[in-house]
Amino acid sequence: MTDHPARDRHQLRTLLLAIAILSTVLLAVFLTIGAAAWLNQYGFLHFPLGFYLLAQGLLIFVVVATFWFIRIQDRLDQARAENEELG
Amino acid sequence: MSIPSRLRTANPHLGAYYGIVTSAFVSLILLLAMFEQLGMSQRVLAETMLLAPLAIYLLIAIGSRTLEVEDFFCSGRRVPPIFNGFVLAAITVGGVGVLAYTGTVFFLGFDALAIGLGWVAGMLIGGVLFVPYLRKSGSYTLPTFFGHRFRSRIVRVTASVMLLPPTALLLVAEMKMAALIAVLFLPVTFSLAVVMIAAFIGVTAILGGMRSVTWTGSAEFLVGAIGLAVVVTTVSIVLTNIPAPQLTYGEMFSSLHDAEITAGLTPVQPDGLATALPGPGPTANGKPFLQPFGSMSEVDFATLFLCITLGAAALPSLLMRSGVTGSISDQRRSTAWGLLLVALFVMTAPAIAVFTKLILFKDIATAPASHLPAWLGEFGAQHLIQTGDANGDGAIGARELLIARDGITLVLPAAADLPYVLSALMATAGIAIALAAATSHLFTLGASLAEDLYRVLDRRQTLSRLVAAWAAIAATALAAAVFLVIAEVDPLRAALTAVAFAASTFFSALLLATWWPRCTVQGTLAAMGTGFAVMVVEVAMGGGFAAGQSALTTPVASLAGVGLGLLAGVAASLYWRTSFKAEETYCVEMRNPDGEAIYDRAKQRAAATAAVRPASPAVPAASAS
Repeated sequence: MTDHPARDRHQLRTLLLAIAILSTVLLAVFLTIGAAAWLNQYGFLHFPLGFYLLAQGLLIFVVVATFWFIRIQDRLDQARAENEELG
Repeated sequence: MSIPSRLRTANPHLGAYYGIVTSAFVSLILLLAMFEQLGMSQRVLAETMLLAPLAIYLLIAIGSRTLEVEDFFCSGRRVPPIFNGFVLAAITVGGVGVLAYTGTVFFLGFDALAIGLGWVAGMLIGGVLFVPYLRKSGSYTLPTFFGHRFRSRIVRVTASVMLLPPTALLLVAEMKMAALIAVLFLPVTFSLAVVMIAAFIGVTAILGGMRSVTWTGSAEFLVGAIGLAVVVTTVSIVLTNIPAPQLTYGEMFSSLHDAEITAGLTPVQPDGLATALPGPGPTANGKPFLQPFGSMSEVDFATLFLCITLGAAALPSLLMRSGVTGSISDQRRSTAWGLLLVALFVMTAPAIAVFTKLILFKDIATAPASHLPAWLGEFGAQHLIQTGDANGDGAIGARELLIARDGITLVLPAAADLPYVLSALMATAGIAIALAAATSHLFTLGASLAEDLYRVLDRRQTLSRLVAAWAAIAATALAAAVFLVIAEVDPLRAALTAVAFAASTFFSALLLATWWPRCTVQGTLAAMGTGFAVMVVEVAMGGGFAAGQSALTTPVASLAGVGLGLLAGVAASLYWRTSFKAEETYCVEMRNPDGEAIYDRAKQRAAATAAVRPASPAVPAASAS
């Protein structure tokens, strides 16, 4: 820790948020790849489930996760700005 | 004099301008559709449909010309997020995505999904790990960022040299895509088409730099998106009565499965990634669409996905656009918009492939050889589809139906018996996206050559920044055109190799430079050099997704380059502990989301110093520029 607690807190939270979102997305993709052949025995909207997840489901998940990430990161940035303003 | 970001406002009339562009293009489509019914020839119709939008792009490029350095290199940092998202999406997908990726989905079905998924995940990783910090840095190019971060000319020049292979490969791939479409729909030879395209993208990039790249790219994206949406939605209505292709193609899987069995398609076994990718020439389709991991193993699928993900995250042409919006928050939003638009395309491409495959297999592969559709002769003359009853059984089987990968998208409207105006519209969409991507790659390459090679190596600065950039862009466009005319390039393999190069060379270096304050210049050089060397060896051994593949598949080599680069970067940074306080301060400041871009602040300080001491020699814009 340095003598800038607001900055350190912001950097730590930013790092944790980045790790959380990227590991979640990559884990979801690799799990789906591993289970795709098995998932294909189930159907969803006339698609085999494994195919659907790789063709559309994961993409929708990534888009939602991205907009969620932006919202959380903006809040973190705002909190840092306010804390530094207050000293 | 640079303007503080809080005072930068986007042009309030942008919405109206692009509304006019959209309306003009839609009116053109309707007008040509009516003229076709009135007897207009297909040749005149295609020429009007393809050339009229080019005139609009040129007008926009002329309107956005500039002699201001900040406008030329970063579009004045006042591009609204959605418009930057348009261009980011066009660069990521490109003509290679519209034509070659869709064709790959046609041939590989399930197995090709790794590519599209990789683009989307890569944009997310780039948006989280790199984009906000590059925006805060404010450097005009990726090598400039490395140079500023480490106060080093060597790392800047090295990064600029290593940026050449991925960006040049993408440039020639996109130019070839645009030229292929032009040859099919306009009365020009391939060489003439390449020269015309090089001239067009060169003029566009020279007139306004990043500014004209942004505003013409936005118009090109809109034209491409409208063209694709209109055609695919129309086909969806014709085939399923529902105007939502992304949802309806699932209903056709049972019909497609039956058609594939009738045509003689049987499940296949993986035979290596390089041989799995279809070539550009007419090829027989040998794999059932829904069979998972039939042309590549699960491991190949996962490594291809990860390679494209890391490559898209570290792609110089995408990261170069990190400085064009008004704030860090806007930059993140623009990445999200771009990602959303790429995801929409990636969801649509399998629909195009399924529609085309179902129609082709039903109309040709299951019909008697003597009763083939009339449009087949036209595509045969263009080398898009070739058929022949080789085994003399009176029918065209799947093995006797040879289809060109890059023609799948263009064939769809005619195969679905739609008016010719929709074929021309699909071609216009493809050429628009290819031009947007090619212009961006050209500008990335030219700007880096001028800013990071010429300005660093020529200490006397004989040419001004803009003149050097104009010369570099013109020379690059000329070199790319000459290369395309004399060399045979497979756009898909060139683009995938470029992405593998970008991942291997830049991902680990960017990760260390952005997130590790103690990373040193030696560490960055080691990370970049190791990754680059691994890919050079892989390509020299016959890799690069080529059919005569090396022992390692290209994605594995690229990922090995990322891993080895990280290790080399960390080891070199720890061994040569020459990280200066200024470098660490830069890294810490880069992580501060508030305030001006670091580069802009340096310019303001330099301008203030020059104003106080008017008699002193001009101070460089920033210490490392």
